[in-house]
Amino acid sequence: MAQIPLGVKTHAQKVCSLYKRALRNLEAYYDRRHVYRYQAVLLRERFDKHAKETNMIKANELLKEGEEELFLKQHPIPKYFATSPGGVAHERVVTPPDWVLDYWHPLEKAQYPEYFKKREQRKKEFVAMWEKEYGKPDEKDKHH
Amino acid sequence: MCFNSLFFLFFFMLINFFFLVYFIMNGLSVFFEWENVTFNSMSIVMSILLDWMSLLFMMFVSLISSVVIFYSKSYMNSELNLNRFIILVLMFVFSMVLLIISPNLISILLGWDGLGLISYCLVIYYQNLKSYNAGMLTALSNRIGDVMILMVICWVMNYGSWNYIFYFDFMKNDYVMFIISFMIIIAAMTKSAQIPFSSWLPAAMAAPTPVSALVHSSTLVTAGVYLLIRFNYLLIDMFFFKVLLFLSILTMFMSGISANYEFDLKKIIALSTLSQLGLMMSILSLGFPDIAFFHLLTHSMFKALLFMCAGVIIHMMNDIQDIRYMGGLSLYIPLTSLCLNISNLSLCGIPFLSGFYSKDLILEMVSFNSFNLMVFILFYLSTGLTVFYTFRLIMYVMINDFNLMMIYNLYDEDYIMLNSMFVLLFMSLLSGSFLSWFIFSYPYMIYLPFNLKLMVIYVSILGSILGFMVSNMSIYSLNKLLMSYNLSSFLCLMWFMPNLSTYGLSYIYLNFSQILFKNIDMGWSEIYSGKGIFNILKNYSVFYNVYQMNNFKIYLFSFILYFMILFIFFFI
Repeated sequence: MAQIPLGVKTHAQKVCSLYKRALRNLEAYYDRRHVYRYQAVLLRERFDKHAKETNMIKANELLKEGEEELFLKQHPIPKYFATSPGGVAHERVVTPPDWVLDYWHPLEKAQYPEYFKKREQRKKEFVAMWEKEYGKPDEKDKHH
Repeated sequence: MCFNSLFFLFFFMLINFFFLVYFIMNGLSVFFEWENVTFNSMSIVMSILLDWMSLLFMMFVSLISSVVIFYSKSYMNSELNLNRFIILVLMFVFSMVLLIISPNLISILLGWDGLGLISYCLVIYYQNLKSYNAGMLTALSNRIGDVMILMVICWVMNYGSWNYIFYFDFMKNDYVMFIISFMIIIAAMTKSAQIPFSSWLPAAMAAPTPVSALVHSSTLVTAGVYLLIRFNYLLIDMFFFKVLLFLSILTMFMSGISANYEFDLKKIIALSTLSQLGLMMSILSLGFPDIAFFHLLTHSMFKALLFMCAGVIIHMMNDIQDIRYMGGLSLYIPLTSLCLNISNLSLCGIPFLSGFYSKDLILEMVSFNSFNLMVFILFYLSTGLTVFYTFRLIMYVMINDFNLMMIYNLYDEDYIMLNSMFVLLFMSLLSGSFLSWFIFSYPYMIYLPFNLKLMVIYVSILGSILGFMVSNMSIYSLNKLLMSYNLSSFLCLMWFMPNLSTYGLSYIYLNFSQILFKNIDMGWSEIYSGKGIFNILKNYSVFYNVYQMNNFKIYLFSFILYFMILFIFFFI
C-alpha cells in the first residue's frame, strides 16, 4: 500500500537540517567551546562553498554525500539534553491529560469537592477563551 | 519515613558492630537453627549463620543503606511516590541481609531472587523508555543466575541437605560438586556482571542515583562475590580457577578501557565498579578470599560516596549526566568536590587512603605468587587504566571550564546530602586501616624486588599523565590516535558485547517466531479452523439461499424437512 507522504521538505530545509545535525555532531567530538568554534567555522566554510549552487542535480548529490559522511562520522555517544528525546531524563515525570479527570469514579471525585464543583464552569470558560482567540472550529474537522 | 529507617538501620549497624568486635575477640561463630516442621525423616529447618564475615558485611550494608536513605530524603524530594521508593530500598536491604546470614541454599535463593526482583523495581522507578529497557536487561540477566542457583539446589539434594558449608571438606573431588561449582560460578558471574553478562550494569544507571549508590556499587553486585567467597573451597579445582580468572581479568580490562571513552558520568562510575568487581573476582579465583572480601568492603565505601557526589552534581546540572557539559565545579561545590576527590583517589589506590590497603595488597600478592605474564600485565594495565579514567573524570568535571551555560549559579548547600556524604567520607578514609586490623590477624609477608614493588606507582603516574593529556583538547595528535573513529566506537560501546548479548541472541528467534506467527497462526491455521470453516459455512448458506427464495419461513421449514428425512431413514 502506498504511503501518503506526511510532508514535503524543501531543499533548503534539508540542507539546514544536515548543517544543524553536523554541528551537534561536532559538539559531541570537540567539547571545549573554543575548539568547537574553530571546527564549526571550518564546517560553515565547507557549506558556504556550495551555497549558491543553481544546478539542482549537483545540489542533491552534494546533499546525499553530506548525509552519508555524517552517518559515517556520527559520534557513538551523542550529546543530548537531559529532558529532550534521547536524553536521560526524558519523560521521567508524565502528567496525565486533563480529560482523565472526567473518567474518575464519583467516590474519587468526592475527595476533591471544591475542584469538581467548578470544573464544568472552567471548561466552558476555557472553550470560550479559545474560540475568542482562534475562532470557531470547522465542521469538517469534527469528523474523521 | 526516611528518618525512621535511618535511625533503625544505624542502630542495626551499631548492634552488628558490637557483636562483631565481641565475636572477633572471642573467635566465635554462631549457628542458629529453627526447626519448623519435622515429620518422620523429613525436617524443614531455617538456619542462620553469624560469623565475623556476615557481621562485618551486614554492618557495612546497613551503614551504607542508612546513609543512602537519608540522602534520598533530599535527593528524591520532588517525588510523589517517595514512600514506595523507601519501602523498596528497605526490602532490598532485607533481602541482602537474608543473603548474607544464610548458610543454606534455600534462604540464599530467597535473598538472591529478592535482590534481583527489587533491583528491577528500583531500576524501572522512573518510568521512561530507557528505564524500562534497562530494567528488562537487569532482570533478565539476573534471572539466569537465579536459574543456576535453582539447579544447584536440585543437585545439592544428592547430599541430603541444603547446608552447603558442611560438604566442602568431604566432597571436593565428587562429580556432583564439579557441576555445582560450575553453576555457582555462573550464578555469581551474572550477579557481579562479569564478561558474558556485563551489559546490565552500565544500563542499570537509568535508576535514580541513591539506588545506584546502594545497589549497583556496594550490595547487589557484591552479592555474587560474596557467594563465591562462601563457596571458595570449590575454586581450588584447577579448571574453575582458570576460567574465572580469565573472564574476570578480561572484565577488569574491558571496563577500564570503556570507561575512558564514555561520557556519561554515572556510566563511567558504573564501569569503574565493573572493573573493581573484576579485580575482586580475579583475586578470589587466585585463592585469596579474605583479600577479596577486604577489597569488597573498602570498595563499597568509596564507591557509594562517589555515586552520591555524582548525584549532587547531577542535581546541580538540572539532570544532565554528560561530563562534556560539566567543568570547574570544584570552585562552586568545594565540599562535594572534596568527597569526590577523596573517593576518586581512594579508587586509584593513593597511599594510605582506604583503597590503597586492599588494592595494593592485591597487586603485591599477584606479583609475589608467580602467575602468567598476561595476568600480570592485565592487572597492572587495568590499575593504570583506573587512574587514567579517574584523572580524566576529575579533569572534565572539576578542572576544565563550565560548558553548559554562559551565566550560572551553582551551589551545594544541601546539608542533608552533605551530612550523609561526610559519614561515608569518614569511613572511606579510615576503613582501610580499620579493616586490615579486623580481618587479618597477621599480615601477609611479601618480599618483592624494588622496581616490582614500585610498579603500581609507575603505572599510576603514567595513567594520570595520560588522563590529563586526553582531556586537554588542545593536544590534537594524541587525541587523534586514541580517538580514531573505529577504535573509539568499538571501545566505548563495551566491545559491542551488549549488542551481541541482547540483539544478537534474540534476533534470530524473534525473526523466526514472526515467520511462524504470520504463516501459521495467521495463515494456515486460519484456513483450516478459524476463518476457513466460517467461509465454508457462509458459502453453503449463500448457495442454499437460492432455494429459500428470500423467505425465512422456508428456511425454518427446512429444519422440519430435515427431521422428517431423518425419521424416515432411521425408523422405517
